[in-house]
Amino acid sequence: MKEINEPLKVLVPAEGPDLKSEVGNRFGTSPYLLIVDSKTKLIEALPNPGVSGQKGAGMQAVALTIGKTVDVVLTGYCSPTAEKYLTASGIEVIKGVRGTVADAVDRYRKGKLVFQASETGKPRGRSMDLPDAFAHTLRQFARILPMIGGVILLIGLFNAFVPRALLRSFFPGGRGMDTLLGACLGSIFAGNPINSYIIGGELLKRGVSLFGVTAFMVAWVSVGWVQLPAETAALGGRFAIARNVLSFIMAVVVALLTVVVLGFLTRGTY
Amino acid sequence: MTYAVLFMVAPHKTAMALKGSGEIFTRMGFPLCLVFIVMVLMDLFLQPGKITEFLGKTSGAKGLLLSATAGIISIGPIYAWYPLLKDLREKGAADFLLAVFLSNRAIKPFLIPIMISYFGWLYVLVLTFFTILGSIAVGYCVGNLVEGHLF
Repeated sequence: MKEINEPLKVLVPAEGPDLKSEVGNRFGTSPYLLIVDSKTKLIEALPNPGVSGQKGAGMQAVALTIGKTVDVVLTGYCSPTAEKYLTASGIEVIKGVRGTVADAVDRYRKGKLVFQASETGKPRGRSMDLPDAFAHTLRQFARILPMIGGVILLIGLFNAFVPRALLRSFFPGGRGMDTLLGACLGSIFAGNPINSYIIGGELLKRGVSLFGVTAFMVAWVSVGWVQLPAETAALGGRFAIARNVLSFIMAVVVALLTVVVLGFLTRGTY
Repeated sequence: MTYAVLFMVAPHKTAMALKGSGEIFTRMGFPLCLVFIVMVLMDLFLQPGKITEFLGKTSGAKGLLLSATAGIISIGPIYAWYPLLKDLREKGAADFLLAVFLSNRAIKPFLIPIMISYFGWLYVLVLTFFTILGSIAVGYCVGNLVEGHLF
């Protein structure tokens, strides 16, 4: 493997603004674009204009990269269109790169990362080996587990301090209100779905309508306001809030449709 | 901190809460290990381009079927799957399909017999049908909302 000694400007899409950050999986939408010299010294950390992921945003990242006159891009994945424009501008693109930015640039400098053509002639980067894959997954877990731990402790508190008898008093009667309140209640509970069936069965025995019980059970498994922080940390605030709000609406609609159709099929015996 | 304060006010219930949380952690052990292994295997054998091919924005009906099925057969609490979903998203999976996965977790085939014993088979059949439809609709709307297409 031939070491690269000439001064080069390397651009690496990254999850954070420093050399210890993970190499971004997607060139066009990683949060930052880091420009590093081949001696692994950070020159510039730029917010990626393509981070929104909207149509055309990736080309903004391409334009920025070309404007910065970099020599090579090290990335996890780069779309064929973006790669075409970059290589047409004389920029070498190496894909399938993993690990931290510092590590990636160091490996490139030592000649361990090279442009490879597959049998089809299409470019591909090197895949991860087992220690790298293990370490990468461990880092992902280390980032998200504390948030999950907090959510579980909160769920434990809720389950211990909210008595079941209180749940029945929550339902005033009436299809519309029961459905809405059932969805509200189900969306703040979490845990094994079997518990929702048990509680739902008891609520039904105590006179809560099937509309309310159905909305309660559907919301229990599909909506999670308690675990919203963990979902936000993993998938972003916009995704988490949109999914939970829409799932809440879905729980109400599904409950109404299910009981109405069931009533139609059984001629009102349900 | 909350636990410490509550322990002084209601020690018995707080101990119950802690025990309950511990049980949840224990139950999460197996699904979390499964998720960890899947993520390591993905890093070893799946290049990001393949993720995009199967679960990307243009994966079509194939991606929809894969994510819906994966959601239905996934086990364990929802938060055990967040690390995997984050990883898939970063590797090019579409938001729409991740939302379909999460929403279809509402359907639990191995718990259906229990649900039937409480509510009857016809109820479970109708509920499952509308839940699958609703999950796909939620996934579609989430995907478009996140990309800013709906507003």
